[in-house]
Order: sequence, then structure tokens, then C-alpha cells
Amino acid sequence: MAIMTRARERLQRWFEARLPLADSVTLTQRSVYIVPSRAGLMLGATLLVLLVASINYQLNLGYLLTFLLAGSSLVAMHVAHGTLRGLTMTVIAPAACYARAKAIFHVQLVNTRQTPRYAIELALAGVQQWVCTDVGRQASARVQLAWQPPGRGLHRLPTLTARTQFPLGTFRVWTVWRPAAQVLVYPQPEMHAPTLPIGVADAQPGPTHATHHSGEPDGLRPYRRGDALKSIVWKKAAKTGELVSRDSVAEQHHTLWLARDATGLSDAESQLCRLCAWVLQADELGLHYGLRLGGSEIAPDVGAAHLQRCLRALALA
Amino acid sequence: MIKNPLSHLPRDTRDTLFVLTVIAWVLAPLLGQLPLWCGVLSGLVIVWRGLLAWRGQPLPGTWWKLGLLAVAVIATLITYKTLLGRDAGVTLVAVLLTLKTLELRARRDAFVVFFLSFFLMLTNFFYSQSLLTAAAMLLALWGLLTALVNAHMPVGQPPLWHAARIAGGMTLLGAPIMVVLFVLFPRMAPLWGMPADAMAGRSGLSAQMTVGNIARLALDDSIAMRIAFDGTPPAQSALYFRGPVLGSFNGQRWTPTDGVALMRDEDAGLQVQGPAVRYQVTLEPNQQPWLLTLDATAQAPALPQGRARMSSELQWMQAANVTELLRYRAISYPQFSHGTGLTRAQLRPYLALPFGYNPRTEQLAQQIRASAPPGQDLGRYAIDQALQRLRSGGYVYTLEPGVYGRDSADEFWFDRKAGFCEHMASSFVILLRAAGVPARVVTGFQGGQVNAFDGFWTVRNSDAHAWAEVWLASQGWVRVDPTAAVSPGRTGSFNRLQAPRGIVAEALLGTVSPEMALNLRALWDAANNRWNQWVLNYTQVKQLNLLKDIGFDAPSWEDLVYLLCAIVVSASLAGAAWSAWERHRQDPWLRLLAQARHRLQRAGYMPGANSTPRELADLLERTSPAPMQASAQAAWRDWLLRLEALRYAGDTTHFRQQLATLQRVLRQLRRDA
Repeated sequence: MAIMTRARERLQRWFEARLPLADSVTLTQRSVYIVPSRAGLMLGATLLVLLVASINYQLNLGYLLTFLLAGSSLVAMHVAHGTLRGLTMTVIAPAACYARAKAIFHVQLVNTRQTPRYAIELALAGVQQWVCTDVGRQASARVQLAWQPPGRGLHRLPTLTARTQFPLGTFRVWTVWRPAAQVLVYPQPEMHAPTLPIGVADAQPGPTHATHHSGEPDGLRPYRRGDALKSIVWKKAAKTGELVSRDSVAEQHHTLWLARDATGLSDAESQLCRLCAWVLQADELGLHYGLRLGGSEIAPDVGAAHLQRCLRALALA
Repeated sequence: MIKNPLSHLPRDTRDTLFVLTVIAWVLAPLLGQLPLWCGVLSGLVIVWRGLLAWRGQPLPGTWWKLGLLAVAVIATLITYKTLLGRDAGVTLVAVLLTLKTLELRARRDAFVVFFLSFFLMLTNFFYSQSLLTAAAMLLALWGLLTALVNAHMPVGQPPLWHAARIAGGMTLLGAPIMVVLFVLFPRMAPLWGMPADAMAGRSGLSAQMTVGNIARLALDDSIAMRIAFDGTPPAQSALYFRGPVLGSFNGQRWTPTDGVALMRDEDAGLQVQGPAVRYQVTLEPNQQPWLLTLDATAQAPALPQGRARMSSELQWMQAANVTELLRYRAISYPQFSHGTGLTRAQLRPYLALPFGYNPRTEQLAQQIRASAPPGQDLGRYAIDQALQRLRSGGYVYTLEPGVYGRDSADEFWFDRKAGFCEHMASSFVILLRAAGVPARVVTGFQGGQVNAFDGFWTVRNSDAHAWAEVWLASQGWVRVDPTAAVSPGRTGSFNRLQAPRGIVAEALLGTVSPEMALNLRALWDAANNRWNQWVLNYTQVKQLNLLKDIGFDAPSWEDLVYLLCAIVVSASLAGAAWSAWERHRQDPWLRLLAQARHRLQRAGYMPGANSTPRELADLLERTSPAPMQASAQAAWRDWLLRLEALRYAGDTTHFRQQLATLQRVLRQLRRDA
């Protein structure tokens, strides 16, 4: 059994490896597969019974019924195949996500023909959770799929399967598609991470100050009259509705260097998780922080772009 | 706008009710054939299931279903004494189908219901293959496919007519496949023996005659056969189609004459004269070997298979019973003589009467015999006397003469003086035999109705008739129809006694004028006849004839298979070619855009390989010096923007027309440039 399973897996891998990588695919005769389903085999058996009954009882009307049903099933086979053939599927590159969370991505289905395509189901290959949609004539539809990435890093989206049982359920029509799009998966931020390490007073551009313990990760205090506008943490204010000012300590341009050593952990992945949590905290606080990972170094900075750069570095470390 | 009441229902309820309706439609025509309990049980289960769906209540438990199934099986056993055989099988399938609706949960259950329904549709054809049945079942097939398609449209609540349209389209496209298979699928004999009840329940002329038997036939308006005459048909009153000849009488029942052998054609002592009548008969299956022909047919009718043989009483038969529609050609001669040289010994069976029956008729016969003038043929005299008595004695032709007792001839001649052809023929023959004149009863059909639309004559089972044949020394067997003496209308015109109609028929036909009813019926018969000729009568012989027509020298059923394979192969090749073509086919809009791009390139612009219409329009403005005049440029720009609008802002309902318009304008632009 184990050999069989392995053989099947190898066959599956070989088959998938043959498929081209593309973010957008228009299904053709070559990429749509069709076999009779179990219901189709049942229908075949029914047709056989009808035929034998017509022969044995010499019912010409029975022949007519049998052949009309057989003809309709053949047409249904064509309709089923046509439901997928000619359909254009485009994967919309997903935003980055954190490890252990599901990556949500969308697939856009475009139908250029004059008739609707009914009951198209999509799922990740090998996962039987189908999302079903109709695509109107000369219209498009969008389905949402969730995928659990295996871990941090840059991952190609999983192989997708689209199928349909329309119109009679007697044929299984499907296609397999390997999207080229990749999703960036950041390490999972550590929950309840310890407070940020102490920053180093910035040599430049601001004047030198004595290093100060910034153990309070926030370094914040309620707004007092006279606080400079630029010292107000507007982000926080927008969230909570209360005005909060940076403490004078944080106000000084301290540079926070985040590195593996600072985490005090030995496991490499755990280090990354803590660093991820810290980077997010530091960004939240609007701190001036930099990241050192192995040989590479990201110079201290603030802002969303900087955060992205840091997270990306953590994801790919 | 009429609001669809179904649209308010939840999808599940609506779909279930629709499937139940279709199942009821499939079952309805069978109700007459199924035992009463089966019809009642099926009806109740369907109504129950419908109510459960309507109220959204849970389905009954397994015990309910098993209990009902056990009841049904036991009832079937009691009704038929078996579970095998055709009728018991149909009953069981009907019950199983309705019980299966009680567990319409999983997908597989739904499929079982559909496939049982397909089978039940076929069982309808056991009992009737008429045009009406076919139409009803076509509708049922459409309904079932609609339900099946609808079950595979799981998104939202699409209206049922969407599924109906798709199912109808599939059926229409499937029809050519059906025609090819129907025409070419080799017809073969039954693969194995069928249960004995397979051919039960159909009546026709009977091999024997007891009083009252033909009265039942006379009420049966179904068609017995159709005749197509070459040239002018004989007068309606001369249309006597010969069936079984009954020469033996046991006091109650007439049966075929003992020891009548099938003879070679020339041994029957038949001489024909005068003009021949040529015609083609399409005989409905009657489960008998008789070939009904006009009196008298000298040569064997041309059968599609086998050879017809004639009895010494001029009745034509084939070896096997007629179990499917049979078509044959025959040549008849209304003027003929038959049996002139028979000896006294050969005539003895036609004089035999059982002892102790009909004493008063015997007495009457003796009087006739005694009063016969010497020198005159006794037979001729007796016929005249009997017919004279029938004409003037107050005898009445009626379809409801009441039940006759033991001495049926006595009762007819002296007491009741009323009856139909059977009473008259029987009493007439008994009287003549008692007088010492050889006579026999001939049964068959008399008359028929010509269809004004296609010229076919229709002979119904209600045209069944019985008449007498009397042997005269000078002429041989002579036909005498005592019924014609009493009621000349019975033979030779449309004014026959009408059997009492049912209430529904009364309501339907009572409102239209008789001529219109007659015309409608003629039209309906013509359609039915075509149906019989082309569909029900399509046999292996016809298949092979068709092959001969399209150029096979000595067609066999293998040729049918080859032809079928050839069609399948060529259809597959055509399909492959089409799909190859389709792969290279471009979207018409894109093709139009490519043409425009190409045209602009030739005019001197430098469009990109994937420029959109708007990019092309911008290119027209940007390029300087402009390769074309300002007006042409404006026209091009306008065209390009319309092309863009068609794709991205157009209303899709008139896509094709608008595309065609744009194509036309593009041609115009090219000419101008």
C-alpha cells in the first residue's frame, strides 16, 4: 500500500511539474480533462437496462427513449466540457501574511462567450473544500480561496483545481493549474514578546544624549499642554481617541538595533518570531529602529516601507 | 406580470416539489395498469412527501420506509403470486420510486430516483406506444432532465426555466443522435424468453365465439388495421375482411371447424374472376397468426418474413403470431367461387348440430324444409325464407340485446328478436343446418373508414363482424350477411350504432359538431398512422431495405454495425477538426481590433502589438505629421472608441449586431483610405 501511495504521489508530482506556471490561464481542449463520474456509470447501466428491455419486449418507443436519453447524455458531456473550456482564470496576487495564518487570495474567472457558465468549483489541489460560482455571459466572477502556507518565506501559490459537474453530474470535468504568483510569509510574531531592548542613543543626526532606559516599551505619557505637535503619537491618537505624547526619552533620537543576539533565544525560528514581534512593536511606537540579520543589515529608519523591508528580511532570513 | 408562486418557496422545497410533480406525471399513465393499492400508496406517499417539503418538516425514519416497503412487497405477492414477471416488476418499481423520494437527501439518492424514473417511463410503453403516450413521456423526459440540471446549479436560486431551457436544448441536440441510433441500431430478437404475461391484456378477434363476445369488441374503438388501396377501393359494403371461420358448434360456443388443414394454395378449390383489388395492410399486433385479407385472396400475401398459408376455408395465416405491427401486400378478387366440388362427406361437419338445443328453431327448419317447392334448390329457398323472416319479422339490430340463455337461437328467432351480428349469424347458421343446408360462421371485419387526409382506410375493432356462408350445390360457398337484412346501415355507411360514450368523451365530443369531430378524428388518425408506419413499424426488414436503398447490395445486420461505426468515427473526426479550429479561433472583438491595428500600420502609424483601442486612438492624435486627413482621423478615432465602448461599456444584449455594425464601418473606413 505504501508503495502504491508513494508511486501515486510521484506520479502526481511528475504531472504537476509538467504544468506551466502562469498567473492567468485560458482553458483549452488540452487542459480540460473529463471522465464519467459514478453517476455517469449508473446512467450507463440504466441505459443498458433500457436497451435490453426494449429489445426483449420489442418496444420501438423504448428504443427511442433509450437513444434520446443517450443522445442527451452525449450532449451533456459536451456541455460539461464546454463549461470549463474557454474559461479564463486569473489569480490575483495575494498580500503578504504571517505564518500560521491563512493566506487569502482571489481567483478571477472571465467568461467571454455568449452563454453563462454554471457551477464552476475551485479548490486547492488535494483539498476537497470547493468554492462554487456561476459566471454570467461575458462577465466575470471572483472567488476567494484560503491557503495555509507551510511556513515563513516566499511561497508559490498552491496548485489549484477547477471542476464542474454541470449539467447532469454524469461526467467529472476538471483542470489543474499552477499559478506563478508567490506569497510572502512573514514569521509568526511571538505572542506576549518581552519588551523591546534598550536603544542606543543616536549619534547623528540629533544631539547626543545619555542613553536612557527605555524599558517602558511605550515611553508614552498622556498629552500635556505645551507638548510639541510632532511629539504627539498620532497613530495612537487615531486609534484610541486620546492624545498621547512621546516621552522626552523616546523623543530623543535613539536608534534601536534589533538583532538575533538581542532576543536571548537559541532557536533560530524563535529568534525570528521575537524579532518580528519587536519590529511590529517598534513600528507601532514609531521608534527609529534597524535590523541586523546575519550578514545583512537594514539601516535604522521609520515608516511603513521600512517595516515592509524588515518583515521581508525576516521572512526570507 | 404573473407572479410565479414557486419563487417564494425556499430552493429545497421548490426543487423537491418539482421532482415530485415530474414523478407523478410519469406514474399517472400507469395508474390504469397498476393494482389499485399501488396507485393509492404511491399517491399518498407523494402527497405526504410534498407536505413534508412544504412545511419543512424532517423526513420519516428508516422504520417507516422499511414498513411501507414490506407492505408493498407483501401486497405485490398477494396480487400477482410472484415478484417476478412484467406486471409485478412494474408495480414494485413504482412503489420503490415513490418510497425512494422519502430519502431524497444525498446526491446518490437523487440519482437513484432519476434512474428509476427513466425505467418507469419505459414501462409505460408496455401498455401503450401511442402518439399520446410518446408525447407525455417526452414531456416527462424533459422534466426529469430539467430537475437533474437544476440539481447541478447549486449557486443561488436560479429560476427553473433556466434549467428547463438547458435541458430542452440538450434534448434537441440529442435528437439527431437518437435518430441515427434508432435507424441504424440492429433490431434483434428478444435476448431471452419473456414472462408469460408479457403479451396479456390485448384483445382482438377471438378464435371462438360465444354470445356476447363480439359485443365487447364492438365497444372497442381501437384500430385493428389500416388499408391503403392501389387505385379505387371497392364499395364500403363490399369490404369483408376474412378472419377465423367457425364451423363447429357445441350449443354454446362456435369454434374452428375440426380437421381444417392448411393447404397449398391450389387445393382450396378457389376460382377467381373479374378485376383484382390490390392493397397494403398494416395489421396491429393481435397475438394471433391470422392475416386479415379481403374475400377472396388467391395468392399468398407478400409478407416481410416467412410465408403465408391458406386454410381450406380460405383463411390466410402465418406461422407465428402477430406480435408487432405487420405490413403486407395482398391481391383480392371480389368475384370468386369456392368449394363447388365438395362431396357430401366433406360437407358433413357443416351440418352438425348438438343434440337437444334450440328445439323451436329445429321445428322452424323442418317447416321450411317441408314447404320447399320441389325442383328448387333447398339451400337457396332456405336462405330466402330466413332472410325474409329477418326483414319482416320485427327483428332489431342492437348492441345491448341482454344476456342470452341456453337456447340462444330459439331466443333470437322467437323471444327477443334483437341482437347484433353475432346473434344473427349464429342463429341463421343453426337454422340452415337444421334445415339440412351446410352453413358456417365467418368472423372478421366489415367496412372501415377512409381518412380524408392521407387516403388510408382505418378498420377498428368496433368493425368486427360475423356473417354466414352457405353452401349451394351450384355455386359452392356463398356469403350471406343476415345482419345486413335486418339493419342495412350496419354495413355500408357511417351510421352505425354508437357505443355509449364515457362522461369525459361526452363532454369533449358533445360540444363539437359531428362533422368537425369526424374531421378531427381523421386528422388524428392520419398522424397516428404515420406514427405507426414510421416509428412503431420500423423493423429489421425496414432497416435492411433502407440499406438497400442507400446502395448496399446484400445488406445484413453487420452492415448496420459498420455503418454505425463509420458514422461514429466520422463524427469524432469532425469533432476533433472543429476543436482544432476552435483553438485557433479568436474572439471576434479581438480579431476586429487586430484588423484595425494592421490597417493603421499600413497607413503609416506605429502601433504596439498589444495596443488597446484607446491607445490606438491616442496614437492617431500623437503621430505627426499625420499620415491621414483630419476627417478620416476623426472617423477612425470615433470607430476605435466605439469598439472600446462595445467591450467595456456596451450592453451585451446586442453584442453581435453592434459588432456587425463596427465591421461594416471598418470596411467603409478602409475603402475611404
